[in-house]
Amino acid sequence: MADYKKTIGIEIHTELKTKTKIFSNSVNGYGKTANSNVNVVDLGYPGTLPTLNVEVIRLALKAALILNCEINKEMHFDRKNYFYPDNPKNYQITQAETPIGVNGYVEIEVNGEKKKVRIHDIHIEEDTCKSIHYKHHSFLDFNRAGVPLVEIVTEADMHSSEEAMAYVEKLRELFLYADISDCKIEEGSMRCDVNISVSKTDELGTRAEIKNIGSISNVGRAIEKEALRQIDLLEKGEEVAFATYRYDEKSDQTIIMRVKEAGNDYRYFPEPDIPFVVIDDEFIEEVRSSIPMLASERREKYVEAGISLLNANKIIQNRSLSNYLNKFLDGGINLVVASNILLGDISAYLNKTGLDIENTKLTDDKFRDVVNKLNSGDINSKVFKDILDDLMEKDSSVDEIIASKGIKIISDPEELKKIVNDVLSSNESSVNDYKNGNTRAIKFLMGQIMKETKGSANPELVNKLLEEELNK
Amino acid sequence: MSKYLDLSVEEINGLLKEKKIKPIDLVEEALERIENDKDLNAFITVDSEGARKRALELENEEVDNVLFGIPIAVKDNIVTKDLRTTCASHILDNFIPLYDATVVEKIKAKNMIIIGKTNMDEFAMGSTSQTSYFGAPHNPWDRKRVAGGSSGGSAACISARLVPFALGSDTGGSIRQPSSYCGIVGMKPTYGRVSRYGLVAFGSSLDQIGPMARNVYENALLLNILCGRDDRDLTSSHKKTEDFTRMIGEDIKGMKIAIPNFFVSDIVSPEVLSKLNEVVELLKDSGATVDYIDIDYIENAVTLYQIIAMGEASSNLARFDGVRYGYSIEDPVGIDELYSLTRGEGFGEEVKRRIMVGSYLLSGENAKIYYSKALQIRNAIRKSFLKAFEKYDLIIGPNATTTAYNLGEGLDDPLKTFLDDILVIPVNMAGLPGMNVPMGFGEGNLPIGLQIIGNSFDEATMYKLASFVERKLDLNNDPKEVK
Repeated sequence: MADYKKTIGIEIHTELKTKTKIFSNSVNGYGKTANSNVNVVDLGYPGTLPTLNVEVIRLALKAALILNCEINKEMHFDRKNYFYPDNPKNYQITQAETPIGVNGYVEIEVNGEKKKVRIHDIHIEEDTCKSIHYKHHSFLDFNRAGVPLVEIVTEADMHSSEEAMAYVEKLRELFLYADISDCKIEEGSMRCDVNISVSKTDELGTRAEIKNIGSISNVGRAIEKEALRQIDLLEKGEEVAFATYRYDEKSDQTIIMRVKEAGNDYRYFPEPDIPFVVIDDEFIEEVRSSIPMLASERREKYVEAGISLLNANKIIQNRSLSNYLNKFLDGGINLVVASNILLGDISAYLNKTGLDIENTKLTDDKFRDVVNKLNSGDINSKVFKDILDDLMEKDSSVDEIIASKGIKIISDPEELKKIVNDVLSSNESSVNDYKNGNTRAIKFLMGQIMKETKGSANPELVNKLLEEELNK
Repeated sequence: MSKYLDLSVEEINGLLKEKKIKPIDLVEEALERIENDKDLNAFITVDSEGARKRALELENEEVDNVLFGIPIAVKDNIVTKDLRTTCASHILDNFIPLYDATVVEKIKAKNMIIIGKTNMDEFAMGSTSQTSYFGAPHNPWDRKRVAGGSSGGSAACISARLVPFALGSDTGGSIRQPSSYCGIVGMKPTYGRVSRYGLVAFGSSLDQIGPMARNVYENALLLNILCGRDDRDLTSSHKKTEDFTRMIGEDIKGMKIAIPNFFVSDIVSPEVLSKLNEVVELLKDSGATVDYIDIDYIENAVTLYQIIAMGEASSNLARFDGVRYGYSIEDPVGIDELYSLTRGEGFGEEVKRRIMVGSYLLSGENAKIYYSKALQIRNAIRKSFLKAFEKYDLIIGPNATTTAYNLGEGLDDPLKTFLDDILVIPVNMAGLPGMNVPMGFGEGNLPIGLQIIGNSFDEATMYKLASFVERKLDLNNDPKEVK
């Protein structure tokens, strides 16, 4: 079977994060009571006309730029005509002839190898409404009707499920970072259709389309399963039908939805209700400059600063933490320490309180100060834990908080030396253990010193003094 | 029966201001006239209750403008909140809109009173109003004859002096041609001049709402309040509102006028041509120049219209599917049956014919072969017109090749209805303003109309010439008085 080559192309629909819908002023929101975000335009009422939400153009342009596309500076919309109950006007307003972006690419990395997946085009369109089927009835929720979408169509450039998953993950990361979409596959704000064929030769086989796959890992599973199904057919000397499938997670199978008829006729023509949209260079540059640092660049910078790849990825998954950390990229603090506390105690605090880090009292100055204190050993992690709530909730400075807690940081070697010697003289048996080769005894002695100082001693200094005294 | 509605709008306004009459007097008179002329079949819905209620409300309001309290009829493809809007189709015969069209908001804002919804061709598809689900309106000049179409009800109700004002819509002559047949003044403004929001779409790139009235001045008064940018219609123009009456009464000396040779070719009947020639002589005598010119592809306009309007209509009418509003068959078995039976029963023959032809024209490669090509040639027509307007102030000709013909005639010939509009369609292709002003009568005392075509957004100059012709000819356009 290994001599079959998979060829994969992917179409992704992504809902754009706008306040209102694309062609009406209804609210664009998920999870609201059915048919509450709806007006006569969304319902396709007689006499209604589309307006155009400029925010949609801005976000779609941003997406097209991120995907390295050429921009169609003079573009229009087209009508795609087909009858379906979820399609209120029985035509969908989309872009067939002049997609906002064409000829782009996305770089992915699989097993350490980098590769470009070419983007055929990215175009703007309106979402349909949501149908819910119950027994012999179908219900329609028009809240989704007219939600802005971009559809990103790749060339058939991928040849393994790993590449396909890497592509979807990469696209998700890009759009999430540029604040283009929520990219929640489970809520349907990102939907993935995979086209796959197998062949032993350079000539492509008949492809199957797997619609609306519900998660990135299922993209991989669906491809593997569908490839096996096709190979099995070909090995038996049968033909692969040009058809649409869905992936059923429970049975781990691709299930046929409909056989495609040749020449699906959507009777496209330019939408006469929306004049041509002209995108000038000034607008393009304005949008380009609004693109934040993207995930791949962040990752590089974090790893460069010594943060482990694992931790770098963890931070990148949380855009708000990553944005916070980026404020300190220019130096001045130890980023490893910074990332450790962000992912550790600070994340725990944020999860517990449900707060965003930007909505806490942890100012940039306080963060810089506390990271430096941890780095120099002026405070230890126990002290940090003790003062964390106050750091997040009070306006006071780090020093003020430490003082208010009655915590005194002892960093004076003379003062510490005295405490060390006191502890050593009252724990002679442990000192002897150490001298007889039981090096673990030093941990006990260390604990005693910390107990004596209520944890306020600089641990590195204590360690150094202990070793000096014991080895005398 | 009172005769206030035979007075000019300004005279009525004076009486209202002096409190000699109230809006309810006008409404009662209009309702009485409509009732007495029921056989004209000009209305699909008469809103006597709503109109009376509004008239009584207005008694406490200040008479703040010249159109205050005046009854107006609205073509039944323009949506009116809470007032049935059918498009003269079975598929919408129970449809009560949830909102007002922009033009309806505008006439309501001026405290005009909507008296009812006028008869028309089903979805404005036709040139005689005979495709109406509610039967055809009749021509007040000869009740055996058609009123024209598709705004036939609007033209008939003004011609018969039931109301002084009506709104029509014009996709391929649907305001001008019935105005010509019924002897009234109808204006199709420049595409984009009046918001289309709330006009049930037929050919979106051609449709335009316009005023219909008894005379030129009153027509201009109504256009004054219909215009203006509407953010709900992206094709509506940003041009500022203006007073279209401002040039009425001016002399036409030195005006440069052109007539396309096609408009005086043998497609036009001799009696229409001879009336046009009389007007040409009058214009020349009054110091205007009249030249004969060629407009590129003008003879192809009907073919282009069929492709563009039917293509767009096939898509625009797809929304009538029985799912959300309008007629819907009982207990369908599956969605395909809901679609096919609802649409099969709900639409009339002409509408179905146009949907099928339009679907074919946009199908597969045809979209390129026909629709895209038609858009190109249409652009060439527009350019040719605009080039003519570099030299000429206005273009004139007849609006129809003949006077109104007998009801029932031509129903078995689907192409006849398009040829009726052969002289008016080029204007829609070019997106220019065009109007009708009566220029005389033919055999059987049937009105003949002059078409005036203006440069883009130059309706004011058209009104100037129209009013000059109206004043000079001084025709009596009231069918009751002429007979």
